[in-house]
Amino acid sequence: MTTSQFLSLEWKQFRRSSFFEKGLAIKILMILAALYFAAIAIFAGIGVFFIFKKALPDQDPFSMINNYMIYWVLGDLGLRYFMQQLPVMNIKPMLLLPVRRKSVIQFLLLKTSFSFFNILPLLFFIPLSIVLIVQGYNPVMIVGWFVGVLSISFSINFLNFILNKNSKAFYVVISILALSVGLQYYGIFDITPFTGVFFNSLYELGYTILIPLFTVVFLFKMNYRLLRNNFYIDGAVKAKKEKFRNYNLEFLNRFGTLATFLKNDVKMITRNARPKQVLMMSFLFLFYGLIFYTQDTYKNMPVFLAFASIFVTGGFLITFGQLVPSWDSEYYKLMMSQNVSYKKYLESKWLLMALACVVSFILSTPYIYFGWDIYAMIAAGASFNIGLNSFITLYGGALNRVPVELNQKAKAFSNTQGFNPTQLLISLPKILGPMLIFYVPYKLISFNAGIIALTLSGILGLTFKSYFLSFIEKTYQKTKYKTIAAFSEKK
Amino acid sequence: MESIIDVQNLSKSYNGDKVLNIEHLTIPKGQSFGLVGNNGAGKTTFFSLLLDLILPTKGHIENKGIVVSQSEDWKPYTSSFIDESFLIGYLTAEEYFYFIGDLRNTSKAEVDELLAEFQDFFYGEILNQKKYLRDLSKGNQKKAGIVAALIGNPEVVILDEPFANLDPTTQIRLKKIIKELSVKKNVTILVSSHDLMHVTEVCERVVVLDKGELVKDIHTSEATLKELELYFER
Repeated sequence: MTTSQFLSLEWKQFRRSSFFEKGLAIKILMILAALYFAAIAIFAGIGVFFIFKKALPDQDPFSMINNYMIYWVLGDLGLRYFMQQLPVMNIKPMLLLPVRRKSVIQFLLLKTSFSFFNILPLLFFIPLSIVLIVQGYNPVMIVGWFVGVLSISFSINFLNFILNKNSKAFYVVISILALSVGLQYYGIFDITPFTGVFFNSLYELGYTILIPLFTVVFLFKMNYRLLRNNFYIDGAVKAKKEKFRNYNLEFLNRFGTLATFLKNDVKMITRNARPKQVLMMSFLFLFYGLIFYTQDTYKNMPVFLAFASIFVTGGFLITFGQLVPSWDSEYYKLMMSQNVSYKKYLESKWLLMALACVVSFILSTPYIYFGWDIYAMIAAGASFNIGLNSFITLYGGALNRVPVELNQKAKAFSNTQGFNPTQLLISLPKILGPMLIFYVPYKLISFNAGIIALTLSGILGLTFKSYFLSFIEKTYQKTKYKTIAAFSEKK
Repeated sequence: MESIIDVQNLSKSYNGDKVLNIEHLTIPKGQSFGLVGNNGAGKTTFFSLLLDLILPTKGHIENKGIVVSQSEDWKPYTSSFIDESFLIGYLTAEEYFYFIGDLRNTSKAEVDELLAEFQDFFYGEILNQKKYLRDLSKGNQKKAGIVAALIGNPEVVILDEPFANLDPTTQIRLKKIIKELSVKKNVTILVSSHDLMHVTEVCERVVVLDKGELVKDIHTSEATLKELELYFER
């Protein structure tokens, strides 16, 4: 099999991927999003030199950039663990064809080089290198430095696959990252000058680029060997089986008839890759407030604080809820032909979301550090989330007919579930609603009035719970056949 | 005999292509009913219509007097196993059985009692496996799905291709189970299959579909297998 045949297969896979079968509006949005990230990378590449120059005029901006490179390396590794997947599954049909394993594996590994995660650093480092050359740094030495950095980027790429799904390595990387950022922030120990020596040497000494060059070749070879030895259907090609875990969920029985669904959902979340990812994401949402509460700019714009407060407690509620029948898409026909009451089903999902909101609220207690006003706002946000946001999100989910592959992690840019026009329309009240509910009484009366209004909106919503659930139930019934058909479509 | 499934002027088309067209079909209570036909004959379409998973283009199906697309009251006494999308992959077999039991108002003890009857059928490969259903082999998944369809004393049981993917021992056991259900418990059981021998052995009545049309309706006798083989040889 020749490279051109491989390329033609790849092209077909690309052309026929679900991306091109989506509506025009989504395509435009996705292209815009990709352009947005690309533009950010390019502008950051151009701007980073001048930012350092302005911030620390007495230092060489280039060596400062080199000092901070270590955070890029660690952050990139962490991000890739989350998002990047080795495309092994596609090689299964190749096993039986008269193709040399060597060429399949080499092609596979080279293919990973063209992932979004390798293109983004290019978009950042090329403009940066040009800026450096324009600023009078030695062009030849900059090219050497660029090659070194590029090799590091690809080393990260291949290292990620060797570590693939090894969560211990991930936690080590993340802890080192958090620890060094923390130590530097509080002025205890700054790691960056030490690692900066190496990145600087790529420019100043030049010959040290041999280190990353050798690393990337070594890691490529290692990946190759790893895949070569596991190139069997019970090896690397096989989807990973998870060890069986059981927990006692009897305590959920207190929720009576809802317990059946609740217990099932807890198992669904803990035993599948995709919902686990959502769980992790919603944990990160807890820290969303830090972005807003630490900035003085937002102190005088409490509307934005209200916005942030919704996300502090609403992470799980939003990310889980927007996919609410989709989570059960793999066995939706069972649910539809079994003796299932939609209302009970919905109520149990709502209860799960509300419980998650309460847990998030308890975990958000440290925000008291930023003052009781902030904490009161988080509490009001939690109330809005439980009483109103939950129902809006569930309604949005009912209109969202995208099947979810439970045990498959979402890939970067393939997570377009929340990305159709109806979803966008539905998310407007989620975002603008709380801001408006807070803003009007805040402007007219006082800060506290805004908080009370937001809290009351949630309580009011809660009193209409039964009505809301019936309304969503009707949507379910109306769209039943469409949903079944959409869920049984293979991706 | 009292009828339980009643099909009236049923037809289903996709973009003008008729995939199923049954003018009239009645299945009496307690009958074991076999559906055969080549690929694309409309077997799964018929079962999907019966379970209200798709909407008929014309006509309707009544299940014990209830029009299936208008009310959900047929669900408590009807159960089915069509394909793997009826399994919940991340549960163990036991967890799945208890979940179905919960939905059908059957206690854990009652489910256990039922499972005990199927020890032979399971062949020690389903229960206490510490494995999720998604990690079981196709055949074992099927066993779990079929038994789950028998939880909660259903009056109507629908099984699509139950014999496919099963090993010979299990096929023989399944045939016994189906016969017993129909004879002893008066359960109406609808089975589709590509295997003419299995169907004629297990069903009192065999209906042949061809390109969506009902072409044969036979009360099973000694001669049925020959007749079917002749028909399909064309």
